[in-house]
Amino acid sequence: MKKYLIIWKTLTGLATSSYLTNRVDSISYFMGKLIRLSFFLLMIIVIFNKTSDLVGYGKYEVIFFFSTFNLMDVLAQAFFRGIYFFGNDIKNGNFDFILTKPINALFYSLSRLTDILDFIFLAPIIGLLIYSISKINISFTFINYASYFTMIVFGLLIIMALHIITAAINIIAIESEAAIWLYRDSMTIGRFPPEIFPGLIQIIFTVAMPIIIIVSFPAKAFLGILSLRAALFAILYSVLFFALSLLIWKKSLKHYSSASS
Amino acid sequence: MKKYWTVTKNSWQLQLQYRLNLVLWRLRSITILLVFYFLWLNLIKENSVFAGFSQSQIFTYFLLINLLRPIVFDGQQRRMAQEINDGSFSRYLIMPINHFLYEFSRQLSNKVINLFFAIVEVVIFILVLKPPLTIPSDPQIWLFFFLSLFLATILYYFLSYLFNLTAFWSREAMGPRFLFDWILEFSAGAYFPLSILMRSFFVFLSFLPFFYLIYFPITIYLSKTELIGIQQGIIMQLVFTIIIGFFVRWAYKKSLKKYTGEGI
Repeated sequence: MKKYLIIWKTLTGLATSSYLTNRVDSISYFMGKLIRLSFFLLMIIVIFNKTSDLVGYGKYEVIFFFSTFNLMDVLAQAFFRGIYFFGNDIKNGNFDFILTKPINALFYSLSRLTDILDFIFLAPIIGLLIYSISKINISFTFINYASYFTMIVFGLLIIMALHIITAAINIIAIESEAAIWLYRDSMTIGRFPPEIFPGLIQIIFTVAMPIIIIVSFPAKAFLGILSLRAALFAILYSVLFFALSLLIWKKSLKHYSSASS
Repeated sequence: MKKYWTVTKNSWQLQLQYRLNLVLWRLRSITILLVFYFLWLNLIKENSVFAGFSQSQIFTYFLLINLLRPIVFDGQQRRMAQEINDGSFSRYLIMPINHFLYEFSRQLSNKVINLFFAIVEVVIFILVLKPPLTIPSDPQIWLFFFLSLFLATILYYFLSYLFNLTAFWSREAMGPRFLFDWILEFSAGAYFPLSILMRSFFVFLSFLPFFYLIYFPITIYLSKTELIGIQQGIIMQLVFTIIIGFFVRWAYKKSLKKYTGEGI
């Protein structure tokens, strides 16, 4: 464990140097993320200038859902940005060099690039979370915060599993970078409360592509509207989903053809 | 023209080679379509109006975004900046081609493939969800719509090409391109109708060329723009296209002198 912590720290240090070297790129990417956040926030504010609620949720509750979506999205990118380079490694056969390293190939592939910009970007998101919480007319207790963090942890476990599955798809199908982008765009489902969707779509995005567990469950847990049964289901599901992803990863490795190397 | 047609055909074959990638890519846009459809379904009840849009107008707006995106935006726009930055752009300099036309020919296949999938998605969407839709009956509206769409496609290509030229001046072109794309897509109305925004912000956006890429053609289709407004808008599209086209020509010549072929 200590060895991997040292490796992650070293990789993060290298990533920091890279971001500091390419300052124009880094600032532009950061500004782009900020603009994307601002425009969607503006859209929510404008919508609530014309209506008082969205499927029973008030303005700040919807902003809270939106902030939680951003928190999960950004945490995933901060820690697992390395997977975005995995497709190229498979195409070029460079995965050979990773396999021969005295390190877990999956760990290296996931965390080879720590996105420092996303770590910085956590600041405005956490600010937005705190602001929306302060505006929601409920007195929150320790239970609300504890259940929120618990659901976030298990949500991150599912996100990691989804990243592992996209890596496995890359190995099997070689050219399928779109898999990771499919996950990213599916996360869009979590931008708004899940009740805007009909039952069937909610089931699909809870079970098949568990975006609702990742984003909506933490937000609902915080607001005190997630049942204990749903929370237990989410915990069990995330553990099983993660185990399944590791199984798929191991199977996919047998398909690696070392093409182009 | 034959050589450019060959480029389009080659690019077409290359993309169809990676079919899973293509399918996964299209699934992405379905997800986004679903989100905005159900969001607005909850905001606008039947026979009511929200921010000046009826239910059928807003659903038509989002389905048209799905159809217009491949025509106006798609086409691996960032590839040129990447090629300049990694030096592989050098090969075009020794080819007997006009790079401006070559790049467009390459992007054309991407646009056609994505448009085909977008049409299939929209048809399935309509058959399954049966949303109320707005279909203009006036042939003049259709004519203006297609004219503004054609101009929007050319205008976006010019804007995109001009921005890619920054890669000649800086090794760090991808970050600014990312920033440019987000500003452009939001200001073009590719995520929501711009008229729901505050009046002052909306007026400000209407002075930008991005306004005329998605929002303007769709408002023509929805008959939300008066005839005089349509004529003024099309003149604005033409003016922007000519000005930016001139800049592209000037900047390309200037930029080539800065090219070092770094990374070959």
